[in-house]
Amino acid sequence: MAAVTLKNVVKRFGVFEIVHGANIDVEDGEFVVFVGPSGCGKSTLLRMIAGLEDISGGEIAIGGKVVNNVEPADRGIAMVFQSYALYPHMSVEQNLSFGLRMNGNPKADTERRVKRASEILRIAELMKRRPRQLSGGQRQRVAIGRAIVREPQVFLFDEPLSNLDAELRVQMRVEISRLHKELGVTMIYVTHDQTEAMTLADRIVVLNAGNIEQIGAPLDLYDDPANRFVAGFVGSPKMNFLAAQVVGNDGNATLLELANHGGARLQKPLSGAPPAVGAEVVLGVRPEHFFEAGEGDCDIAVKADVAEHLGSVSYVYANAGAAPGANAGPEELIIEREASRQRATGDHMVVSIKAGQSLLFDKSGARIR
Amino acid sequence: MRYQNATAYRFLAPYLLIFSIFWLWPIINSFLISFQATRTVPWRFAPTFNWGRLIGDPAFFNALKNTLLILVIQVPVMITLAIVMAVLLNSPLLKARGLFRFAFFAPVVVGEVAYSAVFRLMFNLDYGIINKLLNSVGLPRIDWFSNVTPAMAVIMIAVTWRWAGYNAIILLAGLQSIPQDVYEAATLDRVSKLKQFFYITLPLLKPIIVFCAVLSIIGTMQLFTEPFLITERGGPGGGTETLGLLLYRQGFRSLNFGYASAIAYTMAGLAIAISLVQLWLTREPK
Repeated sequence: MAAVTLKNVVKRFGVFEIVHGANIDVEDGEFVVFVGPSGCGKSTLLRMIAGLEDISGGEIAIGGKVVNNVEPADRGIAMVFQSYALYPHMSVEQNLSFGLRMNGNPKADTERRVKRASEILRIAELMKRRPRQLSGGQRQRVAIGRAIVREPQVFLFDEPLSNLDAELRVQMRVEISRLHKELGVTMIYVTHDQTEAMTLADRIVVLNAGNIEQIGAPLDLYDDPANRFVAGFVGSPKMNFLAAQVVGNDGNATLLELANHGGARLQKPLSGAPPAVGAEVVLGVRPEHFFEAGEGDCDIAVKADVAEHLGSVSYVYANAGAAPGANAGPEELIIEREASRQRATGDHMVVSIKAGQSLLFDKSGARIR
Repeated sequence: MRYQNATAYRFLAPYLLIFSIFWLWPIINSFLISFQATRTVPWRFAPTFNWGRLIGDPAFFNALKNTLLILVIQVPVMITLAIVMAVLLNSPLLKARGLFRFAFFAPVVVGEVAYSAVFRLMFNLDYGIINKLLNSVGLPRIDWFSNVTPAMAVIMIAVTWRWAGYNAIILLAGLQSIPQDVYEAATLDRVSKLKQFFYITLPLLKPIIVFCAVLSIIGTMQLFTEPFLITERGGPGGGTETLGLLLYRQGFRSLNFGYASAIAYTMAGLAIAISLVQLWLTREPK
């Protein structure tokens, strides 16, 4: 087991800088997920930790030892690839034992490790099969098995579930979580799927365009995002963003006027300095934080456009600022309703926002607390 | 449905007609001719005339021996060379890859007569560059075309030069279809580049190697141009005469079509048999 430390890690491809000075401390035995949209540099970061990409600047340490110039095989890591990267011409058993055999590992030890991995992943009955005779989920298990037999200090996962169907993804997610508990080894996991990140991680690193936006526990990111990007990326369905303007400041509270809601006003208490009067800001409200009319601090009228009924809850896609008889407004809001309170499409409805369950961002996306 | 099929066949008819007249019929007819004595007028049916002669003909066995010798030595050497070239062409360290790819492929495009003339000049006893090079490193010059062994060597070198690059390009396509992350996984498994080549690249490339080998076997069984032009009609003294050349000599010099047909069918049969053995030996285990 080992901690992984990234200090000011930079990656350049030619003149293009892909990762701009990443600082991350992964503790021993921790499960950390790198999450972000395509092209944010999360896979590149993982491949730099693995040693499959050179480091253009900064330092990576595994178990306290700087590994910038250490061969991938000597870093004490094992990696599970998105495409599984199994050796197609070898049986499952040969796939698992290949690395050990090539390095002259004692036969008895190799057999012990392969047996252990096959038991942990319940693939003992597949040992004689070739990868092409396996289903996607089975292949992914074998790929994880190949990582286990290396008995690494750190497991690296590069979008391991993105080639699986939805049901298998959930199943494998649980398996990987179980594996982490069973082995207690440091795991770094890359995904673009925020649900995977939320369900698996001890801590999440949110990346955007080569920058780390925020590092924190899943619920901390959800409840207390550092900026608009994190607020929008974490959570499904996404947080709603309502354009607003500061119309007055009163002590520790700022008075907002919602731009697309016919002058609806909300008094929002702040702990820090309030923004200047006249400043354009953005109010973030999660879908589950819309209440029945009169229950919150500010009521807004919307027109339900589409409703998705999921059973326990419904998501209403509504056009904001559309008073009865008016055309659709510029903002689309996603509103979560309990199933019993679901609305039919085309309904006009009034929902309420609570100041304490909304977040304020300035125009650049930074959080105003 | 039947009407639709009929329309399809009407469209295919011009092709099928030409195919039947110029391909199918000659194939059938030459088979029939191989059972006829064709040096009498009129030709007469004599099933054992040509085939019987074949079994006892020293010229046939000489040509067969020469062809198989070239096959056994040249094809493995060429395929090995082609694999090495393909790996080098695939190396990320290589600059100007397109230029090298073209250069390796270019020999196939060169006209057969031109290339044969160049090889004759290169291996010329008195002023060929090869003997000059041998002399320059203190080795005696070789009379390439007057002795059987060096003449055979020239043919093998020439065929290898002409076709190794062609096979390398096919193998390169195979190499490029092997996913990169398999090698990355092996690198993480501490498998050296050399071991990656033998344990990953070669096994995954096997179907392409077999394909190249079968193509080369068929090509070598029909070898004609090089012994005809470079070693002057299978010289010295029939020492480089191949089955293809014997067929030409019998069919078009002696106008013995029956015997030439029997030789042609033997060549085709051997090519098929050797290719089948090859495929069987390299089949995927169940």
